[in-house]
Amino acid sequence: MEFLTWLEQTEFSTWLRESDWGHPIVLCFHAVGMGLVVGISFMYGARVLGYAKSFPLAAFDQLFGLAWFGFAMNAASGIVLLIAEPRRMPATPAFVIKMILIAFAGLSLWALARTLEGKERAPAGSAPTGAKTAAIASIVFWCGAIVAGRLIGYTIGPPPV
Amino acid sequence: MTEADILHWIRDTSLGITVRQSRWMFATGETLHFLGLSLLVGGILIVDLRLLGFLRRISMRAALSFLPFVIIGFVVNLLTGILFFAADPMMYWPSPAFKLKMFLILLAGINALVFTLFMHKGALALGEDDQATTFMKVSAGLSLSFWLLVLLLGRLLPAFEGSTSFL
Repeated sequence: MEFLTWLEQTEFSTWLRESDWGHPIVLCFHAVGMGLVVGISFMYGARVLGYAKSFPLAAFDQLFGLAWFGFAMNAASGIVLLIAEPRRMPATPAFVIKMILIAFAGLSLWALARTLEGKERAPAGSAPTGAKTAAIASIVFWCGAIVAGRLIGYTIGPPPV
Repeated sequence: MTEADILHWIRDTSLGITVRQSRWMFATGETLHFLGLSLLVGGILIVDLRLLGFLRRISMRAALSFLPFVIIGFVVNLLTGILFFAADPMMYWPSPAFKLKMFLILLAGINALVFTLFMHKGALALGEDDQATTFMKVSAGLSLSFWLLVLLLGRLLPAFEGSTSFL
């Protein structure tokens, strides 16, 4: 707790809270990263669920590179946003729930990749039921993470005493 | 009717009043706006990256089959955007970020229209490993740039109002 209080009082943390532009610019990065990660996950989920069967699953490999780039961008910008409010943020339930939902979304995509192992080189066609379940789970968890993320702004409380 | 009259009229529509009085409509609209954004970005990336030559191994027809997601995302964001604007037109209208964002959406729309009218048919004929024409690549590059700027301006909008809150 002392560490968090110290962190909150650092020059960087204070600047993030008080400057006109620091916070919005970090949020810009966070929004672009979200578009990349969630957007590509949504398209991949749709493809696994049977949409655009002529689009080979293997073609997503290149897009995953971009999705990881977006994820790294959001991990970095997310840490900066956490540094801005190191005491209030972890005390906000919506923030904790968002982190859990992101972990679940990641696990779903990992499980999805496992179920497709060996099959993903097939040029086109249907994915197994397990893969479809994992695809639906990833879509639901990303939607949940976005809802929780938006709720942080509305429910973040005063700094804990 | 002056500009101010129109803004007042929009503010006093039943939509504007309802959104302002509701505790959850604005926040729900924002969440849907983010989901729409993700659909639009995901779909447009597949189309534009294929045109630019990054996903060369797939046919253009397969890439273009993701276009409906772009349209769904755009419609969701247009409707939620109207909801935001009706809630507080006097805040949005004078904002340079808002005007620039709307102008860039218009440019993105014109770019999409030009592609649909003059390049869509040719693009559909592109098979695996086929290169898009220079015009198609320019159109794809413009599309990605316009939408990226639209996204950034949207996120910067609250800052132009001097609001430093999380909203």
